[in-house]
Amino acid sequence: MDLVKENSKNIYYPPGGILLWIIIFLELFTFGIALIAMVVYSKNEPEVFHNSRLLLNTTFGLINTIFLITSGFFMTQVVINFKALDNKKSTFYLKLTMLGGVLFLILKSIEYYSKMEAGLTVNHNTFFTFYWMLTLFHVIHVIVGLVILSSVYVGLNRKNKVLELDDVEASATFWHMCDLIWLLLFPIIYLIF
Amino acid sequence: MKKQLNFKVWLVLLAISILAVFIVKWDIRLNVVAAIIMAFFMLKFLLVAFYFMELKKANVFWKWAVTLFVSLFSAIVLIVF
Repeated sequence: MDLVKENSKNIYYPPGGILLWIIIFLELFTFGIALIAMVVYSKNEPEVFHNSRLLLNTTFGLINTIFLITSGFFMTQVVINFKALDNKKSTFYLKLTMLGGVLFLILKSIEYYSKMEAGLTVNHNTFFTFYWMLTLFHVIHVIVGLVILSSVYVGLNRKNKVLELDDVEASATFWHMCDLIWLLLFPIIYLIF
Repeated sequence: MKKQLNFKVWLVLLAISILAVFIVKWDIRLNVVAAIIMAFFMLKFLLVAFYFMELKKANVFWKWAVTLFVSLFSAIVLIVF
């Protein structure tokens, strides 16, 4: 049962706050336009894009998708338990959420290392230029997200209550934005070419 | 109730993600594969936005804005592809 009431029906108060949603749309447009540019470039070099896509590890991409989706699910539990004023459970789920993000970064690092070992760097071809730029930009978002979640963790564990529902919801919305961006990247970069 | 719903959404998201990877390996036309993958992408995107980000409780403006973005993006990708 939610012990905290909110009014998200107001156009100025979407869940997470209007400023964060403006940022989300800016991010989605930025990544969206870059991905559309990638598809446009692929028309000039279809074989290069297809062969380069085959050099990516789809299993790694899928596992990373699972890590982020699962992490996002745990984040929903953090918010639900925070609303129910159960800080202990919130902290537990927050740890799991952060674990998902860390596992994502570890697997991404392994993937990056294998690509660099194979000489598939940012200058290799157009496909890999897009691959490195887009996925690295997303990784930066995940790192920033983990920093934000760490601050929530600290706030949850303070004896004097300093954390408000708005703070937790905004952090959760940012974390889900990392999911959304990855959901944009994964099918285009790893699957369709 | 809400926990159970989110759990079901999570299961659907996992199932669609796994299915999308297997569909790529099917021996069917590239355009058809791309269309199926983009349809799965749209579904996943909307599920995360509406359930995990609680957009279903938000004002209709935000619901339409997200739906319009994801539809336009998928349509442009498929037209260019």
